[in-house]
Amino acid sequence: MAAGALARDVEAGGLAAWVRARPLVVGLVVVVALLLTLVLGVGLGSVRVAPAETFAVILSRVFDIDIGVTITPATDVIVWDLRLPRVLTAMLIGCGLAVAGATFQGLLRNPLADPYVLGTASGAAVGAAIAVLLPIQLVVVEFGLLHGLAFAGALASAWLVFRLGGMGGAGGLTRLLLTGYAVGSVLAAVLTMAMYVSGAELRQIFSFLLGGLGGSSWVRLIVAAPLIIGSSLLIMARGRSLDGMLLGDAAAGHLGIDVSRERGILLALASMATAAAVAISGLIGFVGLVVPHVVRLLVGPAAHRVLPISALAGAALLSAADLGARLVGDVPVGVVMALLGSPFFLVLLHRSRSGYEL
Amino acid sequence: MSSSDRRRGVALFVVLVVVLGACSSAGASSSPAASAPMSASPTASAAAVSPSPSPSAAFPITLTDDEGTSVEVAAEPERIVSLTPATTEILFALGAGDRIVATDDGSDYPPEAVALQDVATYASVDVEKVVALEPDLVVAGGLGFTPAESITKLRDLKIPVVVIYAPSVDGVDKDIELLGSATGTTPKATSLTSAMRSDMAAVSAAVAGQSPKPRVFYDVGYDDATGAIYAPAEDSFLAEMVTMAGGDVITTGDPNTYEIPLEKLIEKDPQLIILGTNPFYSPTPDAVAKRRGWDAFTAVRNGDIKPVHDTEITRPGPRLPIGLRTLVSAIWPDVALSAAP
Amino acid sequence: MIAAKGLTVGYAGRTVIEGADLSVAPGERLALVGPNGAGKSSLLRAMTGVLAPRAGSVELLGERVEHVPRKKLARAIAVVPEVADLPFAMPVAEVVALGRLPHEPPLTGLRPTDAAAVDGAIERIGISHLRSRDMRELSMGERQLVFIAVAVAQAAPILVLDEPTAHLDIRHQVDVMELLVDLNERDGTTVLAVLHDLALAAHFFPRVVVLADGRIVSDGTPAETLGAARIREVFGVDPALVRLAVGAG
Repeated sequence: MAAGALARDVEAGGLAAWVRARPLVVGLVVVVALLLTLVLGVGLGSVRVAPAETFAVILSRVFDIDIGVTITPATDVIVWDLRLPRVLTAMLIGCGLAVAGATFQGLLRNPLADPYVLGTASGAAVGAAIAVLLPIQLVVVEFGLLHGLAFAGALASAWLVFRLGGMGGAGGLTRLLLTGYAVGSVLAAVLTMAMYVSGAELRQIFSFLLGGLGGSSWVRLIVAAPLIIGSSLLIMARGRSLDGMLLGDAAAGHLGIDVSRERGILLALASMATAAAVAISGLIGFVGLVVPHVVRLLVGPAAHRVLPISALAGAALLSAADLGARLVGDVPVGVVMALLGSPFFLVLLHRSRSGYEL
Repeated sequence: MSSSDRRRGVALFVVLVVVLGACSSAGASSSPAASAPMSASPTASAAAVSPSPSPSAAFPITLTDDEGTSVEVAAEPERIVSLTPATTEILFALGAGDRIVATDDGSDYPPEAVALQDVATYASVDVEKVVALEPDLVVAGGLGFTPAESITKLRDLKIPVVVIYAPSVDGVDKDIELLGSATGTTPKATSLTSAMRSDMAAVSAAVAGQSPKPRVFYDVGYDDATGAIYAPAEDSFLAEMVTMAGGDVITTGDPNTYEIPLEKLIEKDPQLIILGTNPFYSPTPDAVAKRRGWDAFTAVRNGDIKPVHDTEITRPGPRLPIGLRTLVSAIWPDVALSAAP
Repeated sequence: MIAAKGLTVGYAGRTVIEGADLSVAPGERLALVGPNGAGKSSLLRAMTGVLAPRAGSVELLGERVEHVPRKKLARAIAVVPEVADLPFAMPVAEVVALGRLPHEPPLTGLRPTDAAAVDGAIERIGISHLRSRDMRELSMGERQLVFIAVAVAQAAPILVLDEPTAHLDIRHQVDVMELLVDLNERDGTTVLAVLHDLALAAHFFPRVVVLADGRIVSDGTPAETLGAARIREVFGVDPALVRLAVGAG
């Protein structure tokens, strides 16, 4: 934008406009927040580990440097095998859900969309319930039947909704959304039935539904990371298509976008990221819906800014919330996020009078 | 694919899942019976391996826990974490109480257990705290009592976790023997279980001849808001205890259900209502008598509603004989029992 | 430049355009008029490659429109988008910037040339005072101007507009018409506009095509095509009402 235009913006809106004019500043703040939650997340937990010991573990594991601080095997396990993978997993999931949420909101042109809008949540839950009820024990590279079927369930449900819902094209996006709702309802009923007959396994199904990062490990992180990061990057590469589609299918077509193809690809990528996230950590809400909106309020709706910053902000938010959940005493992470995030979101909405409403 | 085909497909899918769910939960309830004979073998092998009372010869040992998982215990455990109240009681009874470093928050007996650090609640296990204690043996509760994810996490970190659960009174004996092998206290375990068995057999025999057996309803729980009634499931631990105590036990009729409809209970017409009281559930007999529709029961009309302390009755641990005696004194108050050993 | 030959277009069950022949030469400025339901929008859709013809063809510089790759088509033809509701707040300048989509490299985004084109379009339409306003706060007329700016920013040799003045007041209507004349005469842009206002069509366009019941009934200068008899017959209106403006053309 021309410098003159920038000056006019700032004059017009004060601090809000200043922030909006500087997406890089916002990005930097988010990166700093992310690093901070990484440091705090690894250093704090229900067991007290001195900062020096934490550093010693990381330095010796990553760089093979011994700084002369004695580390017990327990401390080593706690920092390296428990906390670090958990914090990194939280970041990964937060990133994936935020990007998926932003994508669904743009694709469906609906600010209330979240990663689960195409029935992925119910699909994953039903998959997990089936896995819990089946008397089969299967573990492949630290992923049990639960994760595999949750993943498959999420993808299957998204595919089903997409096909039944008319691909969002001629049938309209409303039809797609409503189909997502309908399929989600059917699956929720199936889930309720499964929970009803589950007897003792109910607890396992329920804890999956609440969502949590307790099962994080290096192996799961390494398997899930390419799926989530890969999907996110591929979505970001198609960010301009997402922007174009905001004007409507016809206009996007006239601007050279192959709408049905782009829509299909983006939905598939976003569903993949969501399915991977749900398979690892159950149903964690709030991030996918709210983070993109907060980021839009700060830097505007252009995808090339919203997607990367949402990814980082989602990562920071979820790992911070997980830290809070761990410190309070293993409260479900979704609860912490909603309690902390909602008031912040409401304040932001209330403040945004200068034209950048939701 | 036409939309009606799709609808049929979805409906079929739903039916399939429900059927699968019903079948598998029926299957799940039969698996503990399958694993029970397996856990009997380590005791046999332990006994074969160490004819002398020296405990160190029994290790390293590979045990099969109640879920059928093989668990290797390299040496006699010195730092044990117990994640169920029953396990804590059993370990203390086996003389391994001084080796316990942490328990769950429900472990309230013996009194020494209360002072031990809590690392688990009903909902979750604090894996970090467990790891910090550097345990060489963790005992967890099966059937979802201890979250499966926590068990997996601990095992991934190379901590031996033995999962136990007892769906029957016999199962308690097996678990005591299993924990005996795990802690190198097999002689004590054997004597404990045989003492429990003979005492419970004696108590049971004392009332075996009594008739007619009253129809006993053991009130597990009641929801004032919905009127939902919780009763012992068919073939459950609790049903077995009541039967051993000489009662004609009223169950839900289904091994997987804990809820009984009011009409069914009216049809069964309990002659005696036993209220299992604990910190979470302790209604008074008056409150029970006033429950909607309960005045139809013989027990309510005759005022035969007896509260009993339910911990010893329902906890699958070494105090079961006390629980059995409690039940017998509620059902057959006039039968004299020999003093508890 | 763009030519429809024997074009027949329809939707499920209905035929909307029958055997239309319309040829637009480069640099022409042409208005498409007709009563509601005559098929004007469908004709435009077919000519811009959105609607596949049942019979006949549409050719862009001799190549069939359906064979032209999307991006190339978007660089050749700019269609003013329908005034749509945006789901999120978006400043006007960013909306106009979307017009550069067919030109910008997918990964790096707007280059200085693109930014210049955007600024130019905003200046030319005269909405500089709106550039940082949220789209959703604007009036219908202001939004229509923004969408025209999007197409202008696209800087394609052919500009297609479907009732671009529907929500504008008379002054803005005239402004837009004058802009179209300017784009056509100064930049050589080929302009194809569907208009419902016969007076505007007659006054600003040297060539008027009249569409009725899916057929092209007249194609020529305003005087030739918008005679009294034709107006009465096609539009069912007393031509005296329209006489004033038509006479001036």
